Amino acid sequence: MFSTWREMSPRTRREAMEGYISIAPWLIGFLLFTLIPVLASVYYSFTQWSVTRPAEWIGFDNYTRMFTRDPLFWQALKVTFYYVLLSLPLKIIFGLGLALLLNLKIRGMNFYRTIFYIPAVISGVAVSLMWMWLLHPDTGVINALLAQIGIQGPAWFWDPQWALPSVALMNVWAVGGSAVIYLAGLQNIPPHLYEAAKIDGANMWRRFWRITLPLLTPILFFLLIVEMIDSFKVFTQAFVITKGGPLKATYFYLYYFYEEAFQNFNMGYASALAIILMLIILAATVVMNYLSKHWVYYESEQEKS
Amino acid sequence: MRKSMLFVTLLLSLIIVLAGCTAAPAGQQPAAEQPAGEEAAAAGEPVTIDWWTVNSEEYSEEVQKAMVAEFEASHPNIKVNMTVLPESGFSDKMTTALGAGQGAPDVAFFWDNNWFPEALDLTPYIEADPNFDPSMYFEGFWNTRAVWQDKVVGLPLGVGAQFVMYNKDVFDEAGVAYPGADWTTEDFITMSTQLMDPDVKRWGGDRPRRPFRAIWFNYGAHPYSDDSMTVDGYLNGPESVAAYTWLWDLVQSGSTPTPADIEVLGTEGTGPVDLFLAGRLAMATLNQGHMLNAVKAGANFGVVPEPQVEGHERYVNAWSLTSSIWKGTEHPDEAWTFLSWWVGPEGQKFLMENGNLFPSIPSVLEQYKDADQEYAQAFFDVLKLKQVSEWRIAHPCDGAVARAAGDVWDKIMLGDIERDQIQSELDAVVPAAQEALDECRDRLGG
Repeated sequence: MFSTWREMSPRTRREAMEGYISIAPWLIGFLLFTLIPVLASVYYSFTQWSVTRPAEWIGFDNYTRMFTRDPLFWQALKVTFYYVLLSLPLKIIFGLGLALLLNLKIRGMNFYRTIFYIPAVISGVAVSLMWMWLLHPDTGVINALLAQIGIQGPAWFWDPQWALPSVALMNVWAVGGSAVIYLAGLQNIPPHLYEAAKIDGANMWRRFWRITLPLLTPILFFLLIVEMIDSFKVFTQAFVITKGGPLKATYFYLYYFYEEAFQNFNMGYASALAIILMLIILAATVVMNYLSKHWVYYESEQEKS
Repeated sequence: MRKSMLFVTLLLSLIIVLAGCTAAPAGQQPAAEQPAGEEAAAAGEPVTIDWWTVNSEEYSEEVQKAMVAEFEASHPNIKVNMTVLPESGFSDKMTTALGAGQGAPDVAFFWDNNWFPEALDLTPYIEADPNFDPSMYFEGFWNTRAVWQDKVVGLPLGVGAQFVMYNKDVFDEAGVAYPGADWTTEDFITMSTQLMDPDVKRWGGDRPRRPFRAIWFNYGAHPYSDDSMTVDGYLNGPESVAAYTWLWDLVQSGSTPTPADIEVLGTEGTGPVDLFLAGRLAMATLNQGHMLNAVKAGANFGVVPEPQVEGHERYVNAWSLTSSIWKGTEHPDEAWTFLSWWVGPEGQKFLMENGNLFPSIPSVLEQYKDADQEYAQAFFDVLKLKQVSEWRIAHPCDGAVARAAGDVWDKIMLGDIERDQIQSELDAVVPAAQEALDECRDRLGG
């Protein structure tokens, strides 16, 4: 099936060579900045290493400590899972809803699309600072608006019950990025399907349920994976706004990782934390991928069968 | 065949690039490259040393450039290659370079204690230099920022400290007498309550940002025993309970901004100086940079140390920047010449007169242009107090223990616990804190 270098014709060799040279920049980048650091992390996860002192091999000690003697690890894991479960549906649903609105054929739609996309390109730190102001318990705009309708707003980031939902809520504000991807999917749906459905008497809800949603499932699946990974990696909000508090209500996994790696210089343990997070994300992705065959509809596969 | 050779050559180049990226074993590289430096010196050419620094309110890039020019004028055999890094990225770059064992500068701030093992021991240079007398520095800053494990790992550049600034106009308006240097933690709460005025949205005094800083030490509280073995009886000991109870009383008085107010209305990362200058906070725990801002703004203010607790030694949160020579330097003599000039009387005087540095050398500090002002004298007096850093540097696990005990702090801030629950709440976090201490002690080699 594959021929060896010697068996190749000069032309095939030249083409192969051009191929290798073409992918060389990516390959070198991948080796230097992804594969080698990942392998190094695996190695350092079995060591005690404070950067300026030589790494000392300690076997599985970091992992046994993590699972048996470290309450902060479990707290960080619990908070992060809770955040993923809370924010993922919000981001998926609001992203889809926004895309459906941006897909309407009304005047000035390009302006609205730009406006809703802007939050996706603003730096996370700036967004966090802005939401700190908006959600200030006494002087924030949100609570002032709630007070207008007779509701006393919570302390948001400064209330252990509300801190995590507040972070999830502020992330919904930036769904413009995923909405753009949904939008591309929506515009790829052939109009004749809707026309045929209309002729058959399908109302708007049935058209959405029977045509839009099934044909969007590949996009939905892609965004589900991407947003899930993004949610597991939540960090900036905790770093800028809550510092993991109050009462460790926003003590996200990556925030704990940051503290261990860059405040305590406990690089060996931080490497082990990183490896565990990678395995969790990998497992979640594999499960989602497995389940996808039950609900994701690929038009091309349907045509083949 | 030629193409095969090309492919192999490319592959080998890649391997060489990768090999070049890996660290040389520590200690080997300077020795291997030593002759290059000697050759340059022998040829009579100036020796270039690398210096990494940051741009700050105390010494801007322009001021430091001018300082380097002055140094080079008086030392024609040394050229200083100054690199100004953003403060936020300085630590990452230093940690990476020191960890890799190559690429670190000859001279730099070693402001992180974790870097001290990579600093050159300056003891032989100090002993050999008749013009250098370590006793010229404030003793407290020398002890906390220069000496580490019986070695001199750097010299302390500048001084900084926290103290309480009070707004005299607000005190006058409320008819409250100004605090004296001998005021107590109880006085603080009393004054804070008298000075607050919800009608004009004014708070009395701010609250500490975290435990086991000056006020905790003023109560005689420590997070764990001096031998770093035991948490029980310290974190939850009577002194610590008294300090947490004082915090509880302050929070419950309603005269202090909430954490949300401080985070949102305060100045990012530095304290509530804006609230203070706007007259919305009568007393604020600030530092010498804020003091200069207040002078510039024409504020009518006074300075006192953080309140004391009768019967206990008094502390200050103070700092200085350890400035060191990397032990892998190829030019240790030239690096010492620059370091001892920069952090010595001449360099610090230059930075004081041309920037905003308060020198760590009392004889130079006395020449400060406003040294006769009341606020400056009060600040200078604060610098003579015992420093929290003396304990913290000798006990590097305090951060890990404080993190494990953080919930008690949060509960007091949130008003979730009653005054008489403080003892039991501290008792409850002792096991987790002990676990954190044990882990940290093991990690740092006992």
